[in-house]
Amino acid sequence: MSPSEALLKELRAAKPAAGEGLRERVREIAAQEPAREPFLRRFGLRRFVLVAAPVTAVVAIATAGVIGLSQEGTPVPGRGEGSAPQAARESAPAQDSAGGGADAMEAAPPSGGAALPPTQGRLQRYDAQLTLRVDDVEELSAATQRAMRIARSLGGVVASVSYDSGTSEIGSAQLTLRVPIARVQQAVVQLSGLGTILGQRYGIEDLQPAADDLARQIEETQVRVAELQTQLRQTNLTDTERAVLRSRLAEARRQLADLRSALEGTRAEARLATIQLSLTTEAILESPPAEKGALDRVVDILRWEGLALLYALVVAGPFLVVGLAVWLALRARRRREEARLLAQP
Amino acid sequence: MTLSARGTQTRSLSSQTFAAAAEAHLDDVYGYLVYLTKNPLLAEDLAAETFEKALRLWRRFDPSRASARTWLCQIARTTALDWFRSEDRRRRREERAAAPEAADAAFAEGLSAELEAALASLSAAEREVIALRVLLELDGEEAARVLGISPTAVSTRLSRALKKLEERMGHVAV
Repeated sequence: MSPSEALLKELRAAKPAAGEGLRERVREIAAQEPAREPFLRRFGLRRFVLVAAPVTAVVAIATAGVIGLSQEGTPVPGRGEGSAPQAARESAPAQDSAGGGADAMEAAPPSGGAALPPTQGRLQRYDAQLTLRVDDVEELSAATQRAMRIARSLGGVVASVSYDSGTSEIGSAQLTLRVPIARVQQAVVQLSGLGTILGQRYGIEDLQPAADDLARQIEETQVRVAELQTQLRQTNLTDTERAVLRSRLAEARRQLADLRSALEGTRAEARLATIQLSLTTEAILESPPAEKGALDRVVDILRWEGLALLYALVVAGPFLVVGLAVWLALRARRRREEARLLAQP
Repeated sequence: MTLSARGTQTRSLSSQTFAAAAEAHLDDVYGYLVYLTKNPLLAEDLAAETFEKALRLWRRFDPSRASARTWLCQIARTTALDWFRSEDRRRRREERAAAPEAADAAFAEGLSAELEAALASLSAAEREVIALRVLLELDGEEAARVLGISPTAVSTRLSRALKKLEERMGHVAV
């Protein structure tokens, strides 16, 4: 037996045993043992964290799933931003009744080619803006010519054409077409077929009140002209009176001519609709806004939850680091002190 | 069941009562404290204090993390260290630093005078590792948990302590 083994044997054989006095004291202490505390009271911090962390993760994922799956499809933000239809929708004021007195502007969905119908029996100024994409410059040229033919075939005219194809790949054309307002819908449908619709916008201004007012003024002026003519036919007028009446008659006739001209202009405005057609080869919008899938929405929500967690960590991070450093420093100091205390015989 | 009739391990005794744990491990706790303090009377007081603390903390005891014996030894060590600290402060206050009370060390009946003297000459840290590994026969992991160090450090500390103990016994014997 080596000295070490003999030493260990002696140490084990002489193990200190508690005296009866101590046993009694401990027995009394143990007799005070309370009933087992309720489960939640026994739930220490470590167990709480061990349970709370996965539960929180599950709740976060479940929340994202429930919200994501229950939401209706929403357009993907960022896709098509700045595109013609998007811009048109954002800038278009609320649509008023086409028969009302105010302007009515409406941006139609890019997938459609139907224009707002004008109101029959009322004078209206009708403006339409149509933006189309064509495949290439050759297609641009052909589409421009076809647009002009469409306008003429419907009894309209081409007010202006601007064609620009600086390179062989990129080009654009702007046309101002005037077509009879009764055939504007037909025109828009046919023009929409020239390319892929990037945006549509319609404006309707009711001119009927203005025309009615002009008509009323014309009637009043006609009555006044007739009165002045009657007065001039009287024989007892002095030369001065006659000169004044002639001057007033001339003025009334000028006003009458202006009013008739204005009324005719208004009626002419209401006869022809203006279509601003823009053709371009540039792919402003590759595809219509896609509907988000349920999985995309769940991922989006999870991403936001992750960002919120990251934000919380960024805010709380310095405090956690400082707290950890303080805790480590205190622990190191406590251990040094313990080592010093236990180094003594 | 008597206090001296103690169980060997309590890892699986999740429903064990405090009284049963106290009965099973009183001698272990007391023996550990005797070695740590070199003072049986003080060890008795500290053991009683240990079980009072343990009773308060019993609801937080998790058998899956450590045995009741290891857990009680941890509390005993903390209790002893608190006592060492207060003694240290008291000695400093009374300007009697570096003059620990020369109480006669008495570890247990049956130890030779040489071994008692050699044990008494060791540091408290050396004696506590001998108590845990030799007397209580804790394994390296359990002893490491009580001491708050790695199992490797426990092994190193035990080896040095035993070597020093042998040397001092040889020195005393000569």
